[in-house]
Amino acid sequence: MGGTVEDREVEIVSLMLQRAVKEMATEVCEQCGKCPSACPVAGHIETFNPRHIVAKVSLGRMSELLESDEIWMCTSCQKCKERCPENISPYDLILILRNLAVRVGYPYPEGYDTFIDTVIESGSSQEPRAQRTRADKACDRSALGLPEVKKPEEMEAFRDIVRGFIRRGGSS
Amino acid sequence: MREVLPRLDVELVDMPGTSCCGFPAFSSISSLGWYYLSARNMAIAEKLGLDMLPLCNGCYQSFVETKHVLSENSDLMNLIGAKLEKENLEYRGTVKLTHVIELLYDIIGARKIGSVVVNPLEKLKLASHPGCHAIRPSSLGMPDDAEHPRKLDYLIEALGADSMDYPEKTDCCGSMLATAKGQTTLTIAAEKLRSIGELGIDGLVTTCPFCFQMFDGRQSEINDIIDFIFETDDGEVEVPVFYYTQLLGLAMGMEPGRLGLDLNKSPIERVLDRI
Repeated sequence: MGGTVEDREVEIVSLMLQRAVKEMATEVCEQCGKCPSACPVAGHIETFNPRHIVAKVSLGRMSELLESDEIWMCTSCQKCKERCPENISPYDLILILRNLAVRVGYPYPEGYDTFIDTVIESGSSQEPRAQRTRADKACDRSALGLPEVKKPEEMEAFRDIVRGFIRRGGSS
Repeated sequence: MREVLPRLDVELVDMPGTSCCGFPAFSSISSLGWYYLSARNMAIAEKLGLDMLPLCNGCYQSFVETKHVLSENSDLMNLIGAKLEKENLEYRGTVKLTHVIELLYDIIGARKIGSVVVNPLEKLKLASHPGCHAIRPSSLGMPDDAEHPRKLDYLIEALGADSMDYPEKTDCCGSMLATAKGQTTLTIAAEKLRSIGELGIDGLVTTCPFCFQMFDGRQSEINDIIDFIFETDDGEVEVPVFYYTQLLGLAMGMEPGRLGLDLNKSPIERVLDRI
């Protein structure tokens, strides 16, 4: 059964990408500039501009996007998606581009690996750890009267499944 | 949350076996992994027959988006369902998702909250920060208006304080960029804190732990590089940051020790001294 589920997964990802590209083709980006003016990052990093990302996707300059680090600079605030008068979402394009870049084997921020490995190991993105109070005293969950965090019951199954979704470098 | 909400007749239940929602690493690296993680958390709530109250805006939006995507894509729903079975879970899409602001404003209501206030926070001028994923995208039916959110302001006013408008209100806290561009993250947060300080506002209020951690927990890191960010000589941001429920607890007359105020890292004394 595992094999068939994996086959379906590839098919579903392809369909999602096709749909996104089709939506892109039916909307026309006027390059009006509302997205960079709303973007909290574009004002600080000159090489990041959501309008340029939309233009490059429309022009098919995909490998340029996939290998650059601009697709990794978005904070995911979604103001671009909210304000686009043509209902194009630079944010959604960026997510798809990131997924593709990882699949194909382009570099991405290292921190994501740590995040993902911790989730696979423990279920959470961070193991519970003691905090410091204002008086600089260590204080863990039990000292705060908080219950212990219960991990996924079927931990082995959880790990296998989540690991199965991560295909770095096109090694599927 | 755990101290204040039960006093407003909300029963809180810890869900065993929950995991990360997958945002933002999985959404960037494997969207399917993101949907899976979000769906499995919702499946646990469905199994327990509970409504869900995700405290973090990122988790909230992950669940809302996953619920929406799975409802429109039966292939994906079947794929996720087949995998969930291996964890003895089943996602049906029936779970009710409630945002904290929605719970406080739309379900409990500012009037009821006002009625439990015994120690009004008069003369305090506060800035609300609902956070990105509480208000955008409006296409997913978020709890407040994307361009002019007011609910958290009304909730602040119910405590007797003034909620001040400020130009950066709907701006991002920047924390989702921490993995990729650490300094830009701090710059984005610094701009918001500086603006609040310059307007003479007494403190920043949010319900999202991710945003809270950025503005409160990392404020000292921001100050470490603030002269570099703003090209100043002796700059500093000093903005007390609170969870809304901490202020609500204080206004209800609860002891600061029960409200986790010991763990806030920003300069909150200046506000506590006035309450």
